[in-house]
Amino acid sequence: MTEYFIRRIIQSIVVLFLVTVVTFAIIHLAPGGPTEVLVAPGLSPEAFEVQKRNLGLDQPAHIQYVRWIGKLLQGDLGKTFKNSVPVGELLWPTIGNTFVLMGAAWLVAMVIAIPWGIYNSTREYGLSDQTASFISYLGFAMPTFWFGIILQQYFSLKLNWFPLSDMWTMGKKGDIGDLLMHLVLPVCVLSLAFLAYYVKYSRSSMLEVLQQDYIRTARAKGVRENRVIFRHALRNALIPIITIIGLDLPMLVSGAALTENVFNWPGMGRLFVDMAIAREYNVLMAIVMVTSVMVVIGNLLADILYAVADPRVKLGRKGGDTA
Amino acid sequence: MSGVVPRQEPTLADVPGMGSPVPPPAMDKPQGPWKTAGKRFVRNPYAMGGLAVLLFFAIVAILAPVIAPYEPDKIDFMNTNLPPGTKGYPLGTDELGRDIFSRLVYSSQISLTVGFSVAAAAVLIGSLVGAVAGYFGGWIDTILMRLVDVMNSLPSLFLNILVLSIFGSDFIYMVLVLSFTGWMGVARLVRGTFLQLREMQYVEAARATGVSSWGIMFRHLLRNSSHPIIVNATLMVGSAILSESALSYLGLGIQAPETSWGLMLSNAQEFMLVDPLQALYPGLCILIIVLAVNFIGDGIQDALNPREKKTFSARRLRQWRNKYSKSTG
Repeated sequence: MTEYFIRRIIQSIVVLFLVTVVTFAIIHLAPGGPTEVLVAPGLSPEAFEVQKRNLGLDQPAHIQYVRWIGKLLQGDLGKTFKNSVPVGELLWPTIGNTFVLMGAAWLVAMVIAIPWGIYNSTREYGLSDQTASFISYLGFAMPTFWFGIILQQYFSLKLNWFPLSDMWTMGKKGDIGDLLMHLVLPVCVLSLAFLAYYVKYSRSSMLEVLQQDYIRTARAKGVRENRVIFRHALRNALIPIITIIGLDLPMLVSGAALTENVFNWPGMGRLFVDMAIAREYNVLMAIVMVTSVMVVIGNLLADILYAVADPRVKLGRKGGDTA
Repeated sequence: MSGVVPRQEPTLADVPGMGSPVPPPAMDKPQGPWKTAGKRFVRNPYAMGGLAVLLFFAIVAILAPVIAPYEPDKIDFMNTNLPPGTKGYPLGTDELGRDIFSRLVYSSQISLTVGFSVAAAAVLIGSLVGAVAGYFGGWIDTILMRLVDVMNSLPSLFLNILVLSIFGSDFIYMVLVLSFTGWMGVARLVRGTFLQLREMQYVEAARATGVSSWGIMFRHLLRNSSHPIIVNATLMVGSAILSESALSYLGLGIQAPETSWGLMLSNAQEFMLVDPLQALYPGLCILIIVLAVNFIGDGIQDALNPREKKTFSARRLRQWRNKYSKSTG
């Protein structure tokens, strides 16, 4: 077990290292590379060279990479090209904002979807099951940002129930009630996306367990159905649901780029899009890195949680990474 | 699309690397497996409905110059913001006087082209990587699979935005970057099959008769992955359409004067107060077309593996989740 964990951790570190290489390469392989953003109208070639040198962009790519990663390891994410704002100052508050939004959406989805899926597993193909599956299909096929726009039009422009966009009303920053009102619509949008597969997830996880022999044994010896479901089956069905918690952790900071843009939510996804249009590569690299770190940690946690929670999981080299 | 509540168990259309490879066709059966699968597919009303809708959109896309009354980028300042139902403009016009119906019709070209070319390119890259990794194994496999891990760890939407912001928003770049971030699923599938099959005797026999490695990989082994690849590719068409609309919505995909449903949506959001209906149509088109593609994908899945287990283990759920969650958020 320990050996497996250590191997997974080393693997994760290697993956993260490669992620930095890939991200860096994409930016520097581009025609013109990051320097292109410095070209401003009316900038003399001399001034351009000075600017380039100041930002260290005159060095060969591998030297720039080593410098960048050296700083990254010390927690220095660099500065923006324009205005020289430290990237961290831009980034950290938005992570918090995204976390609030996604956390809320995720909680809502979990609270609705898991019990619903479990209920549906006991009444396969019933009305509720079919509704859930209909909603899942919709959730998978619907462009989330479109759903957001439709909700905005109906519930804030027409009915005026909820604010149109942003996180706070002007001058009301810090007011929890105001925040909650702003949360309703984006949370609706995002939780539908989560809900779409959580319902299926918990349903099939439960069905898988209900087919096991020990459930049949429990029923055969006369255990009441409720007890079979809640005492015998649910515990094992929850194990894969635990894994998804780990897997979805990274989404809590990264998963809302589109919704954030629709609702003008000051989160990381919106920052990314803004910075991509402004071509602030330091910010972009930092965000990609933060997200990738979260993904890798999430995967690692999911594997570890799963292994700890379910002793039947075979840990071994073989087939360990076939999936 | 009112009666879409599926009567059957909706499959989650997922097969990656699971279970035994497709069995060879039994000799005493008069019909091949493809034919029987085809029959099952035809009997599935959702799949057939999906196919009909997809065909409809394909015809609209091909006949766009005939169907659309105006050029999609024809600006007409005399007729801006006309309401739907105005004579000559069935769905009205936008703030520049462009006919919304014509724009919708032309946009289907973009969506379908992106969807199918991305799926094709991703399958190509994925099969190549997966085949090489699974067939040669060893350090080649390790390197390629770490690459898959890396690509899976990179947030795909961010990566798409990043690449498009660097290279510029161009149709070709968009197809390339969407394939570049979408091939990993196929690679894993193909690798899984190859790992299982490369020690089989028929492979050895082929090798003994002098078939080259590439010949064995692409003539003999790849066929065994064809079922899951087809299902995966179908679903990828849908997710590519969603991604295209998302990127265009964010202003990084299709650019004016070209038109796309995503672009129309970003436009509509700006003029939400003027004409709230404008946002409805493009989104509905995306929803319907992606829904159709997903129904087809699930139908193919059911047709090819009718006895496929309907519930699945955590590992498969994870793969399935990875596939579907590409465009959430």
